[in-house]
Amino acid sequence: MQQKEFLDTLLPIKDKLYRLAKRILVSNDEAEDAVQEVFLKLWSGRDKIKNYKNPEAFAITMLKNYCLDRLKSKQASNLKIVHSNYKNSENIERKLEADEGVTLVLKIMETLPEKQKIIMQLRDVEQFEFFEISEMLEINETTIRVTLSRARKTVREQLIKQYNYGIS
Amino acid sequence: MELARIEILLEDYFEGNTNLQQEAILREYFTGKNVASHLTVYQSLFVGLDFAKEEVSQRELNLPASSGISRNWRYRIAASVAVVIGIAGFIFSGSNFTQEEQEALLAFNKTKETMLLLSSTFNIGTEKLVILDQFTVTKNKIFKIIINQ
Repeated sequence: MQQKEFLDTLLPIKDKLYRLAKRILVSNDEAEDAVQEVFLKLWSGRDKIKNYKNPEAFAITMLKNYCLDRLKSKQASNLKIVHSNYKNSENIERKLEADEGVTLVLKIMETLPEKQKIIMQLRDVEQFEFFEISEMLEINETTIRVTLSRARKTVREQLIKQYNYGIS
Repeated sequence: MELARIEILLEDYFEGNTNLQQEAILREYFTGKNVASHLTVYQSLFVGLDFAKEEVSQRELNLPASSGISRNWRYRIAASVAVVIGIAGFIFSGSNFTQEEQEALLAFNKTKETMLLLSSTFNIGTEKLVILDQFTVTKNKIFKIIINQ
């Protein structure tokens, strides 16, 4: 597989990988590193990519595992993840409320357990079908729905709390 | 009517029972302008999730080169660098060479001087040999007289 063909297949999902990595690792830099690492791994195994039905799902699985490993080794070495700022400056046209909304929602998502975070990212941000998420995470669809429901409800609860606090 | 439908969809959404089309309807409604006042809290949720998708990776990927052309290209760079280093090395170490050369030249000159001195001494020796020649001439004369007798 040549580099062009490889990039044609996998470059379209680079940003999806980045966003998922960012959701798990929080830091921009770490997310970029993770994407680079996963692409290197995919590149070195590029001849096998054709054998997978869904290279996208395969890449996401790989990224998820990589990020969770990173997180584990980080917690083991007792390093704190430094939170980075959300930069939304490129979308100035959007309302300021939108900026606050995105920051708030993403911050609430950060507090979710990893599994909920990943599923909510894949469904509510990247809009994958349940069977795709099931393939990526090797979890059955029912469990995914239950986990997703839990995640959405937690976010709602926190949002309402913040909302009421803002009003009063 | 529309609002009632949204409220039902919202319930299903939080139960994890909506499909992608239904979620698209919710997203469209909440990112639009006419959100019912009692639902505004959900506005930030859907706008936020929609917004989150706009974040993109800023860093270029760095993959090792694989194709023949680019490999060749790398070799060319490596060769050029080697040549440049070679030339630079030669230029920068040039002063060392001249110093060595000067030493060699000095040694050569000293040797030449010594040789000249030696040869001039030899010449003195050969001058003395002229006397020896005279001796031979005289000797021959004497021997001639003796033989003739």
